[in-house]
Amino acid sequence: MKLHETLRNTEKFLAERLPVEKMNYASMVQKKEVPVHGLAWGYYMGGLAMFFLMVQIATGLMLLFYYQPTVSDAHASVEFITDQVPAGALVRNVHAWASSLMIGSVLAHLLTAFAMKAFEKPRELTWVTGVLLLGITFAFGFTGYLLPWHQIAVNATKIGLQTIEEIGGYLPGQMAEWPRQAKEIIQGEASVGQATLSRFFSLHVIILPLAICGVLGFHLVSVQLHGMSKGIDAKPRHMERFFPTFLLKDLRVWGIAFMVLFILGVCLPFESLFAYPLFEPFDPKGSTPDGIKPEWYFFWVYYPLELLPLWVILVGSTLLAVLLLATPWLFKNTNRQTLRLLAIMAGIYLVIMTLFGENIYHLFKG
Amino acid sequence: MRSIPFTTCCTTLAVLAIAGTAQAYPEFQKFVSQKSGRTVNCAMCHMHSDGPEGAAPGQIGHLTLAEQAELGRARGAFEPHANVKSPILNAFGNHIINHLGKKQFLELRVTPAELAHKLPKDSDLDGDGITDVDEYLSGTHPLIKSDGRPWLLFKANLAANLGQIALMLAATVLGLWGLQHLLHGFDVATRVSDADEESG
Repeated sequence: MKLHETLRNTEKFLAERLPVEKMNYASMVQKKEVPVHGLAWGYYMGGLAMFFLMVQIATGLMLLFYYQPTVSDAHASVEFITDQVPAGALVRNVHAWASSLMIGSVLAHLLTAFAMKAFEKPRELTWVTGVLLLGITFAFGFTGYLLPWHQIAVNATKIGLQTIEEIGGYLPGQMAEWPRQAKEIIQGEASVGQATLSRFFSLHVIILPLAICGVLGFHLVSVQLHGMSKGIDAKPRHMERFFPTFLLKDLRVWGIAFMVLFILGVCLPFESLFAYPLFEPFDPKGSTPDGIKPEWYFFWVYYPLELLPLWVILVGSTLLAVLLLATPWLFKNTNRQTLRLLAIMAGIYLVIMTLFGENIYHLFKG
Repeated sequence: MRSIPFTTCCTTLAVLAIAGTAQAYPEFQKFVSQKSGRTVNCAMCHMHSDGPEGAAPGQIGHLTLAEQAELGRARGAFEPHANVKSPILNAFGNHIINHLGKKQFLELRVTPAELAHKLPKDSDLDGDGITDVDEYLSGTHPLIKSDGRPWLLFKANLAANLGQIALMLAATVLGLWGLQHLLHGFDVATRVSDADEESG
């Protein structure tokens, strides 16, 4: 009886979240409307993230023609792309900038969706898949970082994987071995080497793209089925049609984003933001240059990790993951003003740790 | 791994014994690092990032007999414009020795800032638009096109690619202008259609 009831409740839950009867041209295109109000710019963030993903796919495919995923040739092939392949430097630089801009827009999309309470019933699964997409995006960044096989890539990956192993110190009994085993599975051998590069390459170009296709597909269908969330408590100024009005406006934002990306790609090599010794080919017998750290989008967790005991970060990260996944149920009764305040606070924390994390670290550690 | 022939090892040891310790000059690296606040290493002037000592490619222990002879010639280039090509130095390192001569270079060890004044002001070995002198003072690599102070590099690349950027900008602006008109057209069409529905 109880099982039957659980099944019925699950079916009811899914039917409300996946109204497949709306899967028709009229609902998804003709009748779909977007509210226009002060926070409506937030509706463009998801589209912007998708634009950068498309740029990543296009440039990534071009890089695949020349990139060699072996420890002996990876760095040389990246140098070949940069110095010898026509427009190779531009394609590579656009790939690097678009990855950062994609992560930035995914984070902005998360915060604006939170502030607008876009996770409200029946959009819980849209939110959960969005959080999964954020995780996949970070995984793209982490796996892609290793591929050029330069000093900062290999050493930062080593630090990241070492952190996983250190978790074992906080786990009881047999469980203490699990993080080390997990690290070895990811690493593939005793130290970061060819097996690690092969695994990260496979993850970066096959497994994660397949995962993002599936999850993003569900996310987009879900958004189309439910339409845009209301976003604010007050009545919107007016409603505009998704097709063609909003779509054309979205294309306008994409056009500006493309222009910015092109100028950055042509004029500002991503590597110029770092010291050149960090981009020399990794030499296991050579000295490790100063300044090894992860990409900027991990600073919000990296600098606290350097300052605080690991267990504090572990507890914090676990709570954050649970909080993000359970947001639709935990904040069900929270009003939009409070959510907006929380989103602003989270945004300020991210910006401060990204821009001034190193200064804060030196302030405390000297 | 590449094996080093026995004769090469013996000759290297002999060269080292004659020449004393390998000559690397960390005074310059220390000055650049302090002035620029950037991490720099021996690869700014040397072939190998850990300097000339060792047996890795670009280091003394890895040199062939011909390269050792070239090294000896470079070490003896005390006067400027000797046109030497030391196998342990990169193009920037050789540029310094050829322009100043070893004697003047050694004198500059006590005032490494002076090196910037002694080198040609307009030389730009990597062609990135930032002179070698500015790269030396900024702690960026004079031979890596993608390395430079971000703002200087941005300005130099913007000036170098102004034509392409202007064309791209024009294409984007025209595209946005077209989209704006398309939006306006749809807006008018929707209003006409709504009015027709209301009246009919």
